[in-house]
Amino acid sequence: MRRLLLPWALAAIVFVALPYIVPDYYVGLVTKMLIFALFAMSLDLMIGYVGLASLGHAAFFGLGGYTVGLLGLKAHVSEWIALPAGVLVATLGGVLFAFLALRARGSYFLMITLALAQVVWGIAFGWRTLTGGDDGLPGIKRPTFFISLADQTAFYYFVVLLVGLSAIALTMIVRSPFGLALLGIRESETRMRALGFNVWRHQFVAFVFAAAFAGLAGALFVYQNKFVNPAFLHVVMSAEALIMVILGGVGTLLGPAIGAGLIIFLEDFISSQTQRWLLILGIIYVVTTLFAPRGLIGLYRDFVARRSKP
Amino acid sequence: MSKGHHVRFAERAGARVVAGAIVAFSSASLLVNQAAAQAKPPIKIGFIAPTSGGFAPSGEECILGAKMYFEEIGYEVAGRKIELIVEDEQARPDVGLTKAQKLVERDNVQVLMGVVSSAVALAINEYARDKKVPLILSCDAGANELTIPGPLANPTLVRTSQNGRTPSAAAADFMMKKGWKNIAVLAADYAGGFDTIGGFGAALCKLGGKITQEQYPPITNNDYGPYVTNLDQKADAVAMFLPGGGGLRFIKQFVEMGLKTKLPVMDIYGQAVYEPFLPQLGDSSIGIYSTLHYSSAIKTPANEKFAKAYFERTKHQPSDNAPDGWVGAKAFADAAKAIDGNVEDTARFIDAMKAVKFDSPKGPIALDKYGQVIQSMYVRQVEKVGSDYVNTPVATYPNVDQFWPLSFEEFESYKYRYVDLKGSLTNCGKVLEKK
Amino acid sequence: MIWIIHTLNGVSLGMLLFLLAAGLSLIYGLMKILNLTHGSYYLVGAYIGSTVIEKTGSFALALIVAPLAVALLGVAMERFFLRRFHLDELPQTLLTFGFLFIIADLCLWIWGGDAILLPKPALFSTSIAIGGNFYPTYRLLLIVVGFAVAGVLWWFQEHTRIGAMLRAGVDDAETARALGIDVSLLFTVVFAVGAFLAALGGVLGGPIIGASPGADFDVMLLAFVVVIVGGLGSLRGALVGGLLVGLLDNFGKIFFPEFALFTIFVPMAIILSFRPTGLFGRA
Repeated sequence: MRRLLLPWALAAIVFVALPYIVPDYYVGLVTKMLIFALFAMSLDLMIGYVGLASLGHAAFFGLGGYTVGLLGLKAHVSEWIALPAGVLVATLGGVLFAFLALRARGSYFLMITLALAQVVWGIAFGWRTLTGGDDGLPGIKRPTFFISLADQTAFYYFVVLLVGLSAIALTMIVRSPFGLALLGIRESETRMRALGFNVWRHQFVAFVFAAAFAGLAGALFVYQNKFVNPAFLHVVMSAEALIMVILGGVGTLLGPAIGAGLIIFLEDFISSQTQRWLLILGIIYVVTTLFAPRGLIGLYRDFVARRSKP
Repeated sequence: MSKGHHVRFAERAGARVVAGAIVAFSSASLLVNQAAAQAKPPIKIGFIAPTSGGFAPSGEECILGAKMYFEEIGYEVAGRKIELIVEDEQARPDVGLTKAQKLVERDNVQVLMGVVSSAVALAINEYARDKKVPLILSCDAGANELTIPGPLANPTLVRTSQNGRTPSAAAADFMMKKGWKNIAVLAADYAGGFDTIGGFGAALCKLGGKITQEQYPPITNNDYGPYVTNLDQKADAVAMFLPGGGGLRFIKQFVEMGLKTKLPVMDIYGQAVYEPFLPQLGDSSIGIYSTLHYSSAIKTPANEKFAKAYFERTKHQPSDNAPDGWVGAKAFADAAKAIDGNVEDTARFIDAMKAVKFDSPKGPIALDKYGQVIQSMYVRQVEKVGSDYVNTPVATYPNVDQFWPLSFEEFESYKYRYVDLKGSLTNCGKVLEKK
Repeated sequence: MIWIIHTLNGVSLGMLLFLLAAGLSLIYGLMKILNLTHGSYYLVGAYIGSTVIEKTGSFALALIVAPLAVALLGVAMERFFLRRFHLDELPQTLLTFGFLFIIADLCLWIWGGDAILLPKPALFSTSIAIGGNFYPTYRLLLIVVGFAVAGVLWWFQEHTRIGAMLRAGVDDAETARALGIDVSLLFTVVFAVGAFLAALGGVLGGPIIGASPGADFDVMLLAFVVVIVGGLGSLRGALVGGLLVGLLDNFGKIFFPEFALFTIFVPMAIILSFRPTGLFGRA
C-alpha cells in the first residue's frame, strides 16, 4: 500500500508545485491536458467498463460548455448555478441519448451516438440567435468561486481540484459493486442477465454518469478559453477523445488520462516544430498500435509482468 | 515551407539566435546596419495561419506574401531585426487561441499577425485585447464586426486584408448598373456567408434592386445538383459566395445544366474564380464576374512587379492572399519605422498603423480610425489571354472604406445586422428597416 | 419536369454513395473491421485519377489505374497491419485512425490543398434536354454504372466460388475456416475489392464532388451512414441505403432548406432508434 501511495503523493506535489516551476503558457497547457483527461476518463467509463464505444461523446462536452456560456453571458446567472446547470444539462442529454441509443450494439452504437451528436452540433451551428452559430459565443468570463479564477494559476488550481475529485469519484464508481457489475456485463451480457442483473439499467446509469463528467469537462474548457464554439462538440472532438482512451489503455481510467495529456502535448509540440505534424501524429498512432495494442497502460503492465517473472 | 535564416517555424526554448549574425559579413553598409541592429533586440512577430487542412493554401500564400515583403527590407526595420515565428491555426478556434498564448507567453512576440479563419480571429481577439498585444489581421479573416464599434471592437486590432461586406457592396452596385435588378443568391451556410450575402442584399435593396431567392448550402456541401436545379431561372442574374471548393463545384454543375447562357454570374469575393480553379473550369469560367480587392491582372507597376516575383517563386498567379500578406507586412514595417521601432508601446504603434499610407499591389492603402483598411474594390471578369484564364478588372471603385457606400451613421441606423437577415433578404422592407 | 431532374440528381448521388459504401459493408461483414480509412481510399483514388488524366488525358485509364493502385494500398494495410488485430476492434480503430491522418497529410503534401474537380470523359461531357432543361449525361452514366456494379457484385456473391466462400465467411468465419476455406486469402481479396470500389467512386465522383482536404472524412461519414442505414455486411442494404440517403439528402435540401445540416443524420438516428441493426442488417 505504501508503495502505491508514493507515486500519488509525488504526483500531487508536482501538480501543486507546477505553477512555481514552469512559465504561464505551460500552466495553461497543463490545464487543458487535465480537462481532456477528465473528458477521456468519462468516455472510458463507457468503453472500458460497459464495452460500448461512443463516437458522440463531445455532445455532452459541448452541452456542458454551451450551458455555462449561455447562462453566464445571456442570463447573467451566477457561476454557482451555471456550473452545476452545465453538468445537469449534459446529464439530461445523456438520459435522452441513452434512451435512443442503448438498444444498438457495437458499430451501430458507435454510429447512432455519432448521428445524435451531429444533430446537437447542427443545432449549435445553425441556431444563431441562441448559440451564435459558427462564430460561437465570445466574451465568457472566468468564474469566481470564493476567489476570482481569472488568473491563470488560480484557474489551474481550480481545475486540478475538480478533475482530482472527479477522478476519485470515477474510481469509486468503477470499484463499487455497480462498477463490477458493469465489467461483468462487458464480458458477457447474457450471463449477467441470467444472474438476474438488469443489464439495460446498468448501462443506462453508466452512460448518464459518463455524460455528466463530460459535461463538467466541457464547462471547464469553456471557462478556460472564455468562449464556446461548435467545434467543441464536433465529431472530430469525439474522435479525439476516443483516440485518447484507446491510446492510453481502455478500462483503466489512468490510461485514458495519460493518453489525453500525451495527445494534447504532442499536438501542441509537434505542430510548433513542423508543418507535417498530422503525418507524425498518424505514425505515432500506428506505431503505438503495433507495439502497445492494449495502450500505454497495457505496455506498462506487460513490462511489469515481465520483470516480476524472472 | 522553406526555413530561412530569419524565419523559423518556431523557436526552440532557449536556442535564441544572436540577431544578425548571419548578415554580418556581407557588406560594409550592412555592417553599419548590423551595429545598429545589435544595439536593439529583434522584433518578434507571431504569424498565425493554417498550414494544414483545407485552408492551407490560403495560409501559405499569405505567409509567402509577408515573407516577400520582409525579404525586400532585409528583415530589418528601424534598426531592429524582424523574426517571424509561424504557427498553424489548424482552422480550430481553441487551437488558434492556444497558439496565440504560446507565441505571446513563451516566445515573447510583440505582435500577432495573419489569421485566415474568422472563428480563430474571434477567439484570439479578446486575448490580444486583454494582453494589449497588437493583432494585425492580414489574411482572410473577414468578420465585419471586428472593426466596427461594438462588443467585439478591439483597440489593439487592425485589419489590412479585407472585411466581408465591401466586395458585396461593389457587386450590388455593379449589377444594378448592368440593369440586373432581380437577383437569385447563394451563400454558404455559415457566419461569413451571412455577412457577405447580407451586405449584398442590403446594398441591392438600397439601390432599388431585389433578391428573388436565397439558398444556403452547408459549408461542407458535396453535390450542388439540387441547388442548381432549384435555382430561380426567372432572375436577371445570380450572385453567390461559396468558399472552399463550393464555388468550383457549383459553377461546373451550373454550366452543365445549361444555365450559363441564361443567367450572368457574380461571384462575390471571387471564390469560384480563385486563380488555381480557373484552369479547372476552363472555358466554363469565361465571362464570370467577381468582386475582390485584388486581381493579378491589375496594370500598375507595383502589381506587375509583385505578380512577376510571385510567379517566379511559385509558378502560378497570386490570388488575393499573397498581396494581403505583403500589405500586412508593409503596414507593420511602415508603422514600426514611424515610431522608431518602439513597437512595445502598443497604443503608439496602433496609432502609427492607422496612419500608414502607401501604394501596394492591391492599389493605394490607408486605414480608417477603426483600424480597417481603405482600399480599392475591383469588379473582374474572366477572360482568356493566350492559353491562360485571367480575372481582368472591368471596373474599379477606388479607396472605399468599410461602410461604403454608406456612412458609419447610416450603417448603424439599420435595425438588423447582416448575419440576422438570413431568410429575410427577399424582403427589402425588413432589410432596410431602421432602428 | 423539375421533379424528374431532382429525382435523377438524388439517384445519381445515391449510386455514388453505393459505390463508396459497398466496399465498407463487405469488409465489415467479413472481418468486422470498421475501416476509418475508407474515405481516404476515395480521396487517393480521386487524386491519382486526376494525375492520370492530367498526364494522359484518358478518363478510362484513370478508371483502371487509380482503383488498382488503391486496391494495392488496401491489401498492404490488411496484410501488414490490420491482420495482426483480427476481431480486435479498438486497436483496429486506432490503427485506421492513424492511417487516416497519414494519408490525409501525404495527399496534402503531394497534391496541395486546393480543391480539384476531375474533368469528365469527353463522351459524357454533354447535356441532354429534359423538358426544357438540360441534364448532364455524366450523371446518367453514374446511374448506369452504379446499377452495373451492383449487378456484378450480386453475381459475384451468388454465383462464384469466392462468392460462396464470402457468404460462408460472413455467416461464420470460424466454421468457414473449419470447412477448409482459405479465409486468409478471402480477407485479402475482399479488402482489395472494397478499396477498389471506394477508389472507383473517387474517380467517378471526381467530376461532381472532387478531391480536397477533408473530403476523406466527409465521404467516410457518408459511407458509414449508408451502411448503417442499410445494415452492415449487406450488399442489398448498401444499395438501398445509398439510394435512400441520396434521395433524402437531395429532397431534404429542397423541401427543408433550413435543415440542410440534418438531412442525413436525423433520418439515420430515427431509423436506428427503431431498427438498431439497420434496414437489412442482422443482429
